[in-house]
Amino acid sequence: MTLPSPILAMLWENWRLTRVETAWKLALGIVAGLAALVVFAVIARGINPGDVAFDGEHPAAKAARGGGAVVALFLIVLPNVMGWWSIGNLNRVRPGFPFYLNYTSPIRTSVLVAVPMAYLAAVPAASYLASALLLRVTSDYQFPLVSVAAWIAAINLVHAPTNWPIRNTVVRLSGNLAVGVAWIRLASHRLTREGMPGWEWTRPIQWPTVFDFPLTDYALITAIAVAAFAISVVGVARQRRGDAATTAFSGAGFPETFVNRFRFPCPTSSATRAQVWFELKSRGLPLLANGVVIAIVNPLVFAVSVAVVPIRPLAAAVGMFSVLAILASAGHAFGIRVRHGRLYASAFEATQPYGTAPLAGLKVLVRSVCVLAALATVSVSVWASMSFIAVGKGYEPLQGYQPLRSWQGAIESAVATLTGYQQVALAVVASIGVGVLVASLASFAALVARHPRRLGIAGWLLLFHGLVLVPLVLTGYRGVGSQALWEFLLDVLVWTTRWIDAPAIVFATVYVSWRAFAERLLTVRAACGAVLICAAFGTAWLTMLRAAGVQLAAIRTADAVWLLSPMLLPITAVALAPWALSRIRHM
Amino acid sequence: MEHMLVDVNNLSRSFGRRLALDRVNFHVAKGRVCGLVGANGAGKTTLIKHLLGLLRAQSGSVRVFDHDPVRDPVAVLSRIGYLSEERELPEWMRVDELMAYTQAFHPTWDTSYARQLLETFALDPSKKIKELSKGMRAQAGLVAAVAHRPELLILDEPSSGLDVVVRRDILDAIVRTVADDGRTVIFSSHLLDEVERMSDHVTMIHDGRVTLSGALDDLRRRYRRSRVRFREGFDHPPVLESALAMDGGGRMWSVVHSGPSEEFRLSVLTHGGEIVESRDATLEEIFLARAGRSRRQVEAA
Repeated sequence: MTLPSPILAMLWENWRLTRVETAWKLALGIVAGLAALVVFAVIARGINPGDVAFDGEHPAAKAARGGGAVVALFLIVLPNVMGWWSIGNLNRVRPGFPFYLNYTSPIRTSVLVAVPMAYLAAVPAASYLASALLLRVTSDYQFPLVSVAAWIAAINLVHAPTNWPIRNTVVRLSGNLAVGVAWIRLASHRLTREGMPGWEWTRPIQWPTVFDFPLTDYALITAIAVAAFAISVVGVARQRRGDAATTAFSGAGFPETFVNRFRFPCPTSSATRAQVWFELKSRGLPLLANGVVIAIVNPLVFAVSVAVVPIRPLAAAVGMFSVLAILASAGHAFGIRVRHGRLYASAFEATQPYGTAPLAGLKVLVRSVCVLAALATVSVSVWASMSFIAVGKGYEPLQGYQPLRSWQGAIESAVATLTGYQQVALAVVASIGVGVLVASLASFAALVARHPRRLGIAGWLLLFHGLVLVPLVLTGYRGVGSQALWEFLLDVLVWTTRWIDAPAIVFATVYVSWRAFAERLLTVRAACGAVLICAAFGTAWLTMLRAAGVQLAAIRTADAVWLLSPMLLPITAVALAPWALSRIRHM
Repeated sequence: MEHMLVDVNNLSRSFGRRLALDRVNFHVAKGRVCGLVGANGAGKTTLIKHLLGLLRAQSGSVRVFDHDPVRDPVAVLSRIGYLSEERELPEWMRVDELMAYTQAFHPTWDTSYARQLLETFALDPSKKIKELSKGMRAQAGLVAAVAHRPELLILDEPSSGLDVVVRRDILDAIVRTVADDGRTVIFSSHLLDEVERMSDHVTMIHDGRVTLSGALDDLRRRYRRSRVRFREGFDHPPVLESALAMDGGGRMWSVVHSGPSEEFRLSVLTHGGEIVESRDATLEEIFLARAGRSRRQVEAA
């Protein structure tokens, strides 16, 4: 292959680095958007059980369909404004210019910065345009095109000056936070400008007007692009000359620095104790430290937001996403690393004389305990922060907090209706559930590292399974086809999902358990422990089903099997974790 | 029969379409220092990873201390000291924490020996691994690998990219390990002079195959390097009996050859030449003869 110019070579490099991520983002956005439309169409049909198409339906059903379109819009925008995982990996997600290997190429710094900036902004915009066009054609809603795509490009352009010019994690985080607040303020201003009161943008019928941004916006986007480019070039040029200093924060970052403040020696009396110490220091406590920081930030942001109205959306977002952020970081129990785009297990850990099954058990256990502790800390902090919102009761409405207050009320009343025994069952389900989540994510990461191609194919097959959503949306929103077709396709989707889920869990449990015993990874003792955990989880799960009003005897066998299949998950996790760790420890 | 500490039979391994190891047989007896030599990508690290159980054998068998390192990693790894080529150590750890952590896994840990080595290498125990230079990391990794007095020490390119001083330190530590009764060492290296100085046995790997294996002295005796002068000049290397590699041109050629010298001498005579000078081949010359370009020229001839 011959590339005639350095610019084309750089574009090719960007394409090679991001093509898989681009495909996944595009496919995930489309499938998730279509799924949202279908789910809300099903809800609408429940309200108005007549014709599946639009015309002549109940206003509430119409609003439900509209809600689906709003969620779909959110889902196709989200993957395209999240930044680039594959680019961040080039310098292990550290701040600084990710294409530093090109410093020695005979290219001007401005070109070195401009090409990836332009590419990494244009591709998400194009990806959004493709998704929005598809949803437009299938649902007949006027999903905004160029106006939103232009802003998506602008957001991606701003990723460069907030992440590339300075190799300092604190500055990078502060920059991203400031830019995040600015975006929320700008979006809020654009979507509620004069003549567009309140939540008009959540009504798709208003989209052509709401998203018809004035021409000055494009001038503003151009100015943002120029400023972003200038800041990035100056910062990258300093790094290229070697003038940019690397600070103490540029390594593992805050969590490690925080954990190292508290010194506790590594026990030498037993390998198990030393391994627990290792897991705590390397992965457990840094996660807990993040939880503590989020727990401290939450009430502060809430307290300030009561007085400073513009940051209320940020406070609400921090509150809602902080729990999710902890759950999202529940993986990584096996410490799989990335180098030059390849996932691998640390040879240092793999060559310690410690059995694979106990090692997997310890890793999952320590991580789970730390995730639970972080979750508890953050949840208590979010709940405590809600008291600041109560200040608004005297002078209602306290704008921007309504969704949080209603969720809080719903959760509090749901928990209040549970008996003491049911609350214990809920705690058991949540605790073992977190353990299963941690084990599953760690195992998934290990299997991705071991069998990237096979898992990639499985993922794409799952996404292709979502293709059935296209005719469903066409039928449910545009009235293409008939009621019978709608019901048939919906049955196919529900039937396949139910008859794939439960057998998949059973098959995976049997296969992985058999392999774990065959490879002598699991002992009878460990299996007995797994059965005990499974029994506790099963009892708690049944209690929770009863508390939710599910009468197993009164529902179809297939539905009952589907509802009961999660009870096998603890056994699956107990067998899967050592088996997956063994796959990456002994490649 | 000699008891083999490491017993690899017909081991094959491929990564995708690339065959990294092809029916490799590799045996190391107790108390030996075995040098593993080969070009980049020849399969040395792949073989070492099999010994540690980091890779599963796709075909063939791997036994270390009579155990399968994949099925029984604890039994194997507890008796091995290992230093990887990348010196991959947890960056967040301090040197003293690394020592304590490693000690917990090895009841045979010799605290005074570890302290002595740390002092020799002038390593600050309170420093973090990420604050250490490349050479200091190698030294810290080596202390962790040898301080529990392992029965088998495996070093993958222990001195690659290191300066002369650190190389000397590391080689001294290896010598001390060898000096302990019954210790066995396997080490891979590009630096053939280092292998020649340290090993008593050498295994040469080329394109995933073991091309040469045996006691170093035997190998040296088995291969000779001779300078040959012919009456007429040759454009291409002449076909000589037992010649492995030939360099030179015209009338003067340097030849690395194996087998009986008499056979080689007669072959030279029949081509109208004479042996001007002959000596035992160095390991580097043997290596180049088995794996270098000049061998391919001879094979083509």
